[in-house]
Order: sequence, then structure tokens, then C-alpha cells
Amino acid sequence: MSIAARVAVLASLVAFPAPGARAAADFRRDVRPILARRCHRCHGAAKRESGLRLDAAGAILHGGNRGPAVAPGKSSASLLIDAVLGRGEAPAMPPEGARLEREEVAVLERWIDEGAAAPPGDEAPPDDRARAGAAHWAFQPVRRTVPPAVRRTAWARGPIDAYVLARLEAEDIAPSPEAHRATLIRRLSLDLTGLPPSAEEVEELERDESPDALERAVDRLLASPHQGERWARHWLDQARYADSNGYTIDGSRSIWKYRDWVIRAISSDVPFDELVVEQIAGDMLPDATVDQRIATGFHRNTLRNEEGGTDQEQFRVEAVADRVSTTGSVFLGLTVGCARCHDHKYDPLSQREFYQLFAFFNGADEPALEVPTEQQARELPLLDTEIAAAEKLLAENELAVAKRQVEWEAKLRPLLASATPPRELLEVPENVRCALARAPGERAPEEVQLVADHYKSIDKDRIPLAQRVADLTKRKEQLKRSITTTLVLAERPEPRPTHIHIRGDFLRPGARVEPRTPAVLPPVEPRGPRADRLDLARWLVGPRNPLTPRVTANRVWQACFGKGLVETENDLGAQGSPPTHPELLDWLAAELSGGGWSLKRLLRAIATSAAYRQSSRARPDLLERDPRNLLLARQSRLRLEAEAIRDAALAASGLLSREIGGPGVYPPQPQGLFRFTQTAKYWKESQGADRYRRGMYTYFWRSSPYPLLATFDAPDATTACTRRARSNTPLQALTLANDPAFFEMAQALGARLLREAPGPDEARVPRAFRLCVARQPSERELARVLELVEAERAFPDSTPEGVWTAVARTMLNLDELITRE
Amino acid sequence: MRPPADPALLERRLLDITRRHFFRQCRLGLGSIALASLLSEGLFGRGAPAAPRSPFAPRPGHFPARARNVIYLFMAGGPSQLELFDEKPKLRDLNGQTVPGSYVEKKRFAFIGKDAKLLASRRAFARHGRSGAVVSELLPHVASVADDICIVRSMVTDVFNHGPAKLFANTGSSRFGLPSMGSWVTYGIGSESEDLPGFVVLQSGPRGPRGGSPLWGSGFLPSAHQGVPFLAGPEPILNLSTPGGLSRQRQRAFLGAVRDLNAERLDAVGDPEIAARTAAYEMAYRMQTSAPELMDIARESPRTLEEYGAEPGAVSFANNCLLARRLVERGVRFVQLYHTDWDHHGNLDTNLGKPLDDICRQVDRPAAALVRDLKRRGLLDQTLVIWGGEFGRTPMGEPRDLIGRDHHIDGFTIWLAGGGVRGGQTVGTTDELGFYAVADRVHVHDLQATVLRLLGLDHKRLTFRFQGRDFRLTDVAGEVVGKMLA
Repeated sequence: MSIAARVAVLASLVAFPAPGARAAADFRRDVRPILARRCHRCHGAAKRESGLRLDAAGAILHGGNRGPAVAPGKSSASLLIDAVLGRGEAPAMPPEGARLEREEVAVLERWIDEGAAAPPGDEAPPDDRARAGAAHWAFQPVRRTVPPAVRRTAWARGPIDAYVLARLEAEDIAPSPEAHRATLIRRLSLDLTGLPPSAEEVEELERDESPDALERAVDRLLASPHQGERWARHWLDQARYADSNGYTIDGSRSIWKYRDWVIRAISSDVPFDELVVEQIAGDMLPDATVDQRIATGFHRNTLRNEEGGTDQEQFRVEAVADRVSTTGSVFLGLTVGCARCHDHKYDPLSQREFYQLFAFFNGADEPALEVPTEQQARELPLLDTEIAAAEKLLAENELAVAKRQVEWEAKLRPLLASATPPRELLEVPENVRCALARAPGERAPEEVQLVADHYKSIDKDRIPLAQRVADLTKRKEQLKRSITTTLVLAERPEPRPTHIHIRGDFLRPGARVEPRTPAVLPPVEPRGPRADRLDLARWLVGPRNPLTPRVTANRVWQACFGKGLVETENDLGAQGSPPTHPELLDWLAAELSGGGWSLKRLLRAIATSAAYRQSSRARPDLLERDPRNLLLARQSRLRLEAEAIRDAALAASGLLSREIGGPGVYPPQPQGLFRFTQTAKYWKESQGADRYRRGMYTYFWRSSPYPLLATFDAPDATTACTRRARSNTPLQALTLANDPAFFEMAQALGARLLREAPGPDEARVPRAFRLCVARQPSERELARVLELVEAERAFPDSTPEGVWTAVARTMLNLDELITRE
Repeated sequence: MRPPADPALLERRLLDITRRHFFRQCRLGLGSIALASLLSEGLFGRGAPAAPRSPFAPRPGHFPARARNVIYLFMAGGPSQLELFDEKPKLRDLNGQTVPGSYVEKKRFAFIGKDAKLLASRRAFARHGRSGAVVSELLPHVASVADDICIVRSMVTDVFNHGPAKLFANTGSSRFGLPSMGSWVTYGIGSESEDLPGFVVLQSGPRGPRGGSPLWGSGFLPSAHQGVPFLAGPEPILNLSTPGGLSRQRQRAFLGAVRDLNAERLDAVGDPEIAARTAAYEMAYRMQTSAPELMDIARESPRTLEEYGAEPGAVSFANNCLLARRLVERGVRFVQLYHTDWDHHGNLDTNLGKPLDDICRQVDRPAAALVRDLKRRGLLDQTLVIWGGEFGRTPMGEPRDLIGRDHHIDGFTIWLAGGGVRGGQTVGTTDELGFYAVADRVHVHDLQATVLRLLGLDHKRLTFRFQGRDFRLTDVAGEVVGKMLA
């Protein structure tokens, strides 16, 4: 019965009090004043401890995190009375000061026992918290803004530039000039594909004087399959992707099919809204394809505790809570996780709402999906057919076998007592012989079985038939084992009930809740009577949700400028920083959601803008006025991510394998790392090209990440990472200077210089610059490298390989090599 | 001096560098000469840059510090307080009886049930030192320093599985991804060492601690603050030695070229990160010398080696204790030793008989030697030593092949020494069964608050904003334990 209906029924009861009864307790006249005096300070409109308000009858009936505060008609079963009497499970109330007087409690009891009638207009709890918070900028609908007018019309290449320039002009600051071509193509190549440009690509662009040369370069890079890898890696940070289970045992897991799905989806520019729906609820789409189910791996990247003696429900709950928090930070840009134990302190998110979101994810099971290759998929049914045929043949033969068994028994039984038993009888095991001794009709059932089984094992005609079944079955098992699996979500037919966890403790279930989206946002539109995960997925990217497009556009911007227009990229709430360019943010968000949710389209708009093309040189005039580069009067110099550092060095050396996808690989790593983990981890060094795969394919053990990755700030894959740190440490210097893997790259680059750039040193050094940092050296830089060459040649044991390895090693250690300028 | 833990200040300082750079460049019009003065003669042979100070630069905390360094001897697996420190005669009377229901109502255990039988300890206890501290026969050496240590018998924690409990002890939360104590400390007050990392982790025992790198991770703090695991042997830090058999001269020639070319780029683009990177290369270069020297314990006197039971070349808790002293001597702020495995459930190799004897033998002597050695060298006053695991063990036995005990969170024992802790005392008691801490209960968050306090940090003010919230090591709890302080 809905609350409103219940109230109506109760109201009708109260309207006809039993004859001779005292005057009924009236909520406004009798009850509310008591509650106001003793309870409203903590359970009122301003502060709603435990999600409970006691200032309206409807709110009391609705209750808080522990459930309804009163059971109409039954004061003895009412939490409110338990609390004020300090009995039962409820904490004694009020927590401070004197207890309620007996008479006061009696009034409350009487009101409840008489049906807890709510005065008209006082039925439902007013949700003023959500209403008050709703005024915050981020919750407003995305506006289709019109680019402002600017004075330097020649500089602005498109709407993005108009927004950036208008702000600069308002501050009377000039934008920076366009970066040099070599810098630009390296920037574009690293930003769009995560790989540096080849020397040829740089030189071609430097020669190309056509006005759309850069646009064409952008288009070419966007079409590269490596674009999918680069932007998948950004996404995998948010998905907390790793190849192991985490916690203490940290066993291996197979979920790389999900990683490959992300790469493919981004490469082929699957609209972002589809991408979201498939990742959140691909399994629930009608006739879900294998790919759509693989996509749900997004929320299977949660940790799993395999430690003995753990309460599995505890860690399942932990994973579900992580799905809620991750969904909050990745799509909504809200710190939803803050509301797990109590109402959000700053944003209009109650603890109840956290568990309403929790309810969407609580109905999922967590199976592994078999993903056979095409060949495996073909082979499997063929094998099944063969097995069926072989089994049929075997079965058809059984009657003849039974007949032969009778003959065999008849031949042997008389000889059982013989002093010189034939060899055939000697080969019969003792227990079978005992059974044989008994006449067939007198044997116990297990003896019958024993004799039959034995005979079957020696029947010459039956043996090959049985063997064939066994062989085929074994082949099928082997085939099944060789099929890659991947972790997915699968919705249960009946959802688990969801309760609020009091103070976030799963052992203290409070009120039951149903799936519902936070009240401050437009409501979810369920397909059926009860909203489910698929409804949530569609709601996330629905036309009325302003957050997902803003958050997504902001992160694309962040990847291209180093900082989002909202700097707190995972918190667009009240505690986050406001956007520096609110109209531009909305233009980008509208461009994304209105432009078919094409990420490539958005990327193209940004990467072809004049704002993006600016030089990243520091400017003395900006040091005082805009030290943090919030106004975007220049680009930013950004240290590359861990994987991109490896990739850039591999590419320069010529060793890079450009193969895309597949299971994780094991590039060489130092010995002894697994002394620090509970169990030794598998790390059989990959051979051949797999040693030189892109960093994103390195097998990721959560308890012991590949050292290069950890040293250069790769996320630890425990929670969603929406922005990486960029530290600058001595361990990084040791890695680049001394890591045997980097030395191998230096040797390869040295050999490459000798091979590809014959001729004088003065020509070879520029080639090294081209390969490593795209640009040409200055005269002073050239002179300094030649100085190194001379010094190296002066060593008595000097070889050309050694000299150019030293040059290569120097180049691979330049700050510029690991920086996008 | 700047207050601790202020990223904005770091940024401002980096800007100062840039401003200075431009100032010189613009006024003198000689960018490269400005750089030459910016990068004065230094350890690379030619230039030590006046670059931004490293994230480890020492800085004052909120209060005057009592301790300068911490050595945390982490007894992974959960040592049995009932066999080591917490004598319970009552358990002898009740040995074999089912634990009273009132104790275990609403309790959960990792392996045993609520009908588990109480188990008396077979170990003998005696009073030691002037303070009369109770220590069992398993730890004779620790008993011999009883007057220097503060035994806390009333520790409690929140979680009873190893991984989460270890995270809780180290990060104040049983969830992954939060900064560890060592990283909070170096984030707060930096480190005194200019040529070794500020937070070093050592490991001994048959396997690494459950949980792995998140135990010394930096979470959302700058990753420079993550603990650096030192491997045994002359090359404790990854990639410490020059590759390809290159000579020292060649390494210098290489580093000199890198420095000069980076300087050229700094001149051209004015990004202070380049100066910071040059400084990082300098420290890396110093580590190449200092770390092997540090690890070379053969230089210690035979008497010292004997006292610890250390053997050059071995991988042992004893060697690590000696290394810990050498590390704090060199100014390393936070040293953490993990020793496995104290998880005595009762299997053949994890029962309370010989396996417990063995691990006590591995740990007892070096731990006591460390306290004594630090004291002799005048380092104990400024070095806080902590000995303890993620939880203790149940008063109820856990019968497996033989007998052991399950994980226990409601009352267990640790000890501390030096660094402003009042030695020669025992804080806290548990009830007569050794089940619940009943007096002077010390929660893990209280211990963390106390450790920070000794280092001069206010656990409520050492915060970092992440995902919309000011995080701290002690979450929303923690009280400094006044009784522990000298």
C-alpha cells in the first residue's frame, strides 16, 4: 500500500472513533510540539540525521534510513517509541539531555495507536534538500550557447576559439602564436594516438604549405587504429582495468577481451551513448550480442577478495558500492561515494539515494563469459556431433556386448575352481572372480555392475568404440579450456532486495529501497514497473541528464590541455571548482550529445582549434596574471603518461610492435619484485615482438604493477582514476637512465642512427632529434651533442655503436622526450 | 618555512623559479648565461641546479617533533598476544570450554564458529626489568629491553581479514587506494635524506605481506611519496646500476649531456618542471653511490652483526633491522619492515608449537638489538620503533592439523620504543579471557594519531583533498594516546 493510500485509510478510521473513546491525539496540536521541542534540532528540515525528519507526519510515516519511524496502530512496534524509551535495537533518543516525560511518550503512543493520522497537506516529506541543491550550475540543462563576438577574428578558427578569445580579450591578453609545425605534429600525434610521429610524417607536414595541412593530419591520426588504443587507455583508467583480482591473494583474471572491446569501440567511433549503455547494461539489451555482454566488463573490474575466511557477501557489497561510486565519478562527475555512510555533506545526495543507486547494481550476478574464436566456435558443434555419433555407436553395440558377456561367463565360470586356471581367468581381478562365482541371478546389484564393467573393459569390439568417445570428450574439454573467458554482468531473474546500510555497515540493514535516481536530477524513466540497470544506463546518457555530456566533454578537453575547463574533473558538485569557461563547456557538451555522441568529432573540433595549436612556451606577461594558465593564453607542457613514455622510446628506437589487442604481455622486468607480494606472480618474459608491445598491453598485477608504470604515475586500478598525477622523481630518472629495457632501446636507436643516417655526425644528430622529439636541434644543442660524441670517441675502447648508443641514451633521457610540448 | 602539505605552495615555488629565470633572461638578455648561473657547479661535475626543492625537502610540522624517524616492524599475519605478552591464568581454568555466548554474540570470525573452545597458552610468562613488564619465554631478548619499551595490550582494529586489516593498519581504511602512513609522513614533513628515498620498505620471511604495494602506496598523494621497496643485495633500488657495463666516466658524460640539453630546453620554453627533472637526476645519481654503501652491512663491526644476528648476504629480519638503523642514520624518515608469517591457525606449519618458536627466534633478537643499538648511538630518542601486526589472535583455539588461533580484533598487543614514547610501562588491559580490551583501549586510528603527534603532526590537520573530501590518515576518528607519551 502506498503511503498516500495508507494515510487515507487511516484517516478514515480516525474519522469514526470508537464510541466512548477519549479525544483523538491530533498531530499538529499534540504531537508536533513535543517533537519540535525534543527532536527537530537533529531531525528537522536543516539536519536530517539518519535520513529522518520528524517535522511532518508524512515524513514520520516515510521514515529514515532505518525504515518507517512508526507502525500505524501499533506503538509497541514503532521505532520512534523504541528510541524515546531506549529499548530494542534503536539508539536511545534524544542522545543528549533529558529523556521524554512519560506523558509526552504517552501522547506519541496514543497518536500512533490511533492510526498515526496525518493532517491534510502534511502527508509527504518535502524534498527541499534536493530542491535547494538543484540551483547549482552543474544541474542546469546544457545550453546551446552561441559563440561570442571577438575582435581578432583572424585568429579564431571556430567556435571554441571564439569562447577562449573572448575571455582573453576581456582580460586584454593576447593568445600565444601557433607552435612550430614539428611541435604541433608531435603534440597531435601523442594526444590522438599516444605515439610520436615518424620522421617522415614530420618532414611531410613541414613541407606541406596548403592551408588545411594540419586538418588533414588530424583526420589521418583520428583514422589511425592507434587512436583507439590511446583513448581506450584513458577510458581504462576510469574503468579501473587490471589483469588481477586485487586484495591479498591477487590471483590472475581474464578480462582483456573487455580492454580490446574498448579499443575497437573507440577506434570505430561507436557513439558514446551506446558505449555507455553497453558497458552499464549490455547484457540486458534485447538479444544482447557477445560484444554487448563483453562490454559489461566495465563494472567487473572491481576487486575480488580470495582470502580464506572472508565473508563473500561483504566483498560483493564492496564491489557493488564501488560500482555506484565509479558510476558517480565517471559519468556524473559527482562524489556519490561520500553518501555511502551518511548524507552527502555538500551535494544534494542523501544516503538513501546512494542505496537507491546501489539497488540498480544489486541485481547482477558476476559470471565469466566464454568468448570462443571463430575457429573454436566452428569446432565445438562439430565435436558435439562427432561425440553424439560415437556415443550412439557405442550404445547400439551394448546389446551385442551383453550377449558376449553371457558367453564369456559361461566359458569361465566352470573353470573358477580349476587347479590350472587359464591365463584369461588369471587376468580377471580377484573381486570380479568372487562375483563370477555366484550365479548371475544371485548376485548383488553392485556385483552385477562389477562383472559387467569388467567385461566391457576387455571386450575387443567395444574397446575402440569406447576409446573414441573418450578421445572426443577429452578433445572437447581441451577445446573448452582453451577458450578465452571474460568477466561480465548478468542480471538475475529476481533482484536482491536492497536496504540502506546504517553508517555504511552491510551488517546493519536499514529501510528497504528501490532503484531510483537522485532527486536533484531528472527522474529515470523505467520501461517496466521497476526501474532496472538498463533504465539507469539510458538515463545516464538521456537527453535530460546534463552531467554526462559535461563531464565527458570536460575530460576530453583535459586530455588535450592538461586541465579540464572544470579543474576538479571528478567533482562538478558544490565543492568542485566552477568552470573557467562555462559557455564553452556547454558548447562542447552540446556538440557531443547533439553531434551523435561522436568522440572523434569532438576531438577534431578541439584538435583543429587555434587555442589547441598555441605554443606552450611560458610567457613572462602571464606569470603574474594567469600563473596557472586558466585563461588558456597558451598551451601547456605535459609530461607523458607512463605507457606513452615507453611507447615514445620504443617508437624512436624502431623496436615498437604495433600489434593491437590480445592477452597481456610480459616485457622484461627486474628480478625480485615478487618478494613483496603474498604469492609469486607469473612473469615469463615474453619473447620476440611481444617484448616491445605498447605499455597498455603489459600484464597488470594489482599487488605488484610493472615498475615503469608505477614509477610514472599509472593508476593502481583500485578505484576509478579520472585524472593521472604527473610527478617528477629520482626513481623516474633511474628508470630512464638505467632500466635495461631502456638501454636496449638506446642500443637499437644507436644502431638505427648508424644505419639510417650515414654521413657526417652533423647530419646524424638532427636525425636523432627528428626521431625523438620531432624538431631539429638548435646550433647550441647540436654542438653539445657533438661534444658528447667527441668525448665518447676519446674513450680507448670506443666503438661507433657505443658512441651512438650514448647519443641515443641521452636523447631518450631528455625531459622533452617524455613531454608533450 | 612553509607549512606542510600544501600543493599550492609547491606550485608557487615552481613559479618562483620560472620568474627568476625570466627575470634574468629579460634583464640580462642572456638566457643561457642565466641558466649557467641557475645551474651552478654541482655533483654532476658541473652543475647543481637551484631547482625547486624535492618533495622530500624537510619541513616543520604542526608541533615540535619528539621523533624524527620511524621504524615500523610490521609483524604480518597477526602475532598471538596470548603467547607473547598477554598472560591469562583464567584461560587455564577454562581451557577446552566453549567460549561464553555473551562474548561472541554478534561477533564474526574468519574461520572459527561461535562454539569455539577456549585455549590456554602453553607458554610461561615472567616479569622483567624494573618496570616488571610481563613477557613470555618466547621473547627473552625483547624482555631484556623491557624498560625501554611501552607495551600496549589493548589494541583494537576494525577488520578481521589480513588484506583489509593490513590496509587499515597502514592507511587507516580497509579500502584500497588510500595513502599509507609513511607516505602521509613524508608528505607532511619530508625527509632528512638527500640521497635516499624518504620512505623505504624492507621484506623478510617466506613471502611478501598480503596486500602488496598498496600497503606502502601513496594513494591520491603525489606518487613521489610512495614507499620504495628495497630488495636485498647491493642493488636495493631498481635500476640503480649503470646498464651495459658502462664506466663511471661514460655515465658522467651521459648525465652531463642530458643536463646541458635540458638546460637548453629550459632556456627555450621556461618550464620549471625541467629544472625539477634535473634535480631528480642529481638525486638519482647520488643514490647510485649511497644505496650500495647503505646495503653493505659487512662494514659493521662483528660485535654489531653478532648482536643483531645479521649475516652479510642473507635475506633476514636481522639484516633488515640493521639496515633500518643504517637508514635512519642517513636521515630516511620512515622505514617499514615486513616480516611474514605470524598467521598461526594450527596447520602443521602454522601451529602454536614449533612454527611459533621459529618465528619468535627470527624476530626476538634483532628487534631487541635494534632498540639497544639505537639507544647506544643516541638515536633512540629521535627514532620511534613500533612492533606489531594487523591484529591478534583469538582466546579460542582453532583446531586444524594441530592447534592454533583465529584472527582477533578486539584486543591485541603491540609495543613501541623511543621517539618520545615513555618506555618501561604497559598500557591497557584485556578482560580475564583476553577477549576484549577493557582499559585504555587503543584503536588503530588512535595509534596513528599518536605516531603523527610524535612526529610533530596533527592528524586532524594533515589532510589532502580528494574527490570532494579532505582525507586524513585517521579518517574521522583517532585520539592521541597521552599515556604513551614520555
